[in-house]
Amino acid sequence: MTTDGRIAQLSIADAAATLAGRILDAFHGDEFTGLADHVDSCADQVVALGAVRLVGADVFAPHLLLSRPLAGRDVAVVADSFAYFPAVGEPDTHERRVTAWRDWATATVLTRLAGTGPDEAVVFAPPPDTASAVLGPADAWQQWSVHVAQLSPLALPEVGGPVVEAVGREGKALARGAVRAVLRRDYVNAARLARWVALLSHSGTRLPLDPVLLVEQIRLHGGTGPRLLLDLAVARHQLGIEPA
Amino acid sequence: MSTAVAHAAHEISSRAITWLHANRHLGGFPSETTADLGDPDSVYKPLSETVLLSSLVLREGVAGPGEAQHARELLDFAWQQVREGDLLYERQLRHSVLTDPLETYAHFARSGKRHEGLEELLAHSAALGALTEVMPNRRLAVANARRIVGIGDGEDWAELTRVTWLGATPQPWAIDWMTGYCLTHTVFHLTDWGARPEDMPEDLADYVATWLPVWIDIWSEVEQWDLVAELLIVGVCLPEPLFQEADWKRLAGVQHADGLVPRDGAPVDDDPLQRFSDQQHPTIVAAIAGTLALSRLLST
Repeated sequence: MTTDGRIAQLSIADAAATLAGRILDAFHGDEFTGLADHVDSCADQVVALGAVRLVGADVFAPHLLLSRPLAGRDVAVVADSFAYFPAVGEPDTHERRVTAWRDWATATVLTRLAGTGPDEAVVFAPPPDTASAVLGPADAWQQWSVHVAQLSPLALPEVGGPVVEAVGREGKALARGAVRAVLRRDYVNAARLARWVALLSHSGTRLPLDPVLLVEQIRLHGGTGPRLLLDLAVARHQLGIEPA
Repeated sequence: MSTAVAHAAHEISSRAITWLHANRHLGGFPSETTADLGDPDSVYKPLSETVLLSSLVLREGVAGPGEAQHARELLDFAWQQVREGDLLYERQLRHSVLTDPLETYAHFARSGKRHEGLEELLAHSAALGALTEVMPNRRLAVANARRIVGIGDGEDWAELTRVTWLGATPQPWAIDWMTGYCLTHTVFHLTDWGARPEDMPEDLADYVATWLPVWIDIWSEVEQWDLVAELLIVGVCLPEPLFQEADWKRLAGVQHADGLVPRDGAPVDDDPLQRFSDQQHPTIVAAIAGTLALSRLLST
């Protein structure tokens, strides 16, 4: 992500966890200071902007789900994050396809909330690819569900688009993937998939498992990582459960 | 019909039966064994499972002539080991609430090896309600054995099923290795090992069809081949049978050249007796899986 190699990547991952924790605070009723204030408070602002890119559309979870206002300065922060860490070009590998879809989701939500995107190229770009190109066939539900988990920031209201529609048609494959993750004690991916389960449940899709019990299972066993807890908070909100 | 699955199923079962037949003398009772059976799990239980396999090979009639002959000889060997039913009779006489003589005898009876005195005793026990407390899935084993032998006035299958783990259709992650076996056996007995797939209640069949691929996946990942083979049998027993080619190829892939199917991913002992004692069960299970799968594939 940067020319500084692995150390910078690690610190961006740490910074993303910190940012996830700040967003999580909003779900717990704490004051949400906003993205711009958060980035300003960080020692290394480039790393903080990298964290914004990594967290992606989830930086808007408080705005989308809790109706927190989006300040103009926050819009500028997201635009800066795209300036420092440009969107991927041609999505020619799976990893780049995932990144392209996550960027697309960030730009889409930003456009919906602010009426403007991070830059014209990203905002007005059509979906980067077909849903099947990034997800693969749902018959191969193990790999398909891992890909769905990688796209968990798309499991927010207001994102929509081909991937959300494609996942929405495959409730059984999604449920199998979530149960597989729980049985493998892979709670990070289980929480990501629980968000999709919650999104589908919220939109009235019939699922072969109990979404509330799934989320509670992960909460009780999944530890205290802020990224996982943020995924669960988003899922709980969609399911109408009070914050844990 | 999936030719690849049929081929793998046939290979697995014929090789496994060959191995079990070749090593059968390692699975006999020590001399002077009495009906009290100090350690029922050492020889008696595997012998009973051998009888189950033989009875299913003969019932389904899809084995080649060589394997069918092996199955008949395994059955004869086991019948001779239980002294043509006398050992089971003596065991039931002395321990009237035990269920294992009935469970073992049912597979002999299915294959035409009957013992009049034992059947009288079993009918009397059923009339008394003499039955030790057992796990709910084991209670279904008793119900199925009575159904096969033709004993008693029938069972309340719905009630017996309801109290099993599967009958409660829990959230699908609320399962562990041991409970996995409870699930498989509930399906085995409800359907009499695939002979009555329509006897699976519809909601349970839907539940199993939805989650079986997940359970097969996670226990394959940790190389629990014995349980995986049992789960493959479950798939065969469903009203809409589940045959995933990759599962059958994977099981065929772990089978040893001589036909042994390992219990799990741990190294297999070299000592012939230890090897047989450790790996007899999974090899029997794999032989049953292959036999029932081939039969179901040929009939659909």
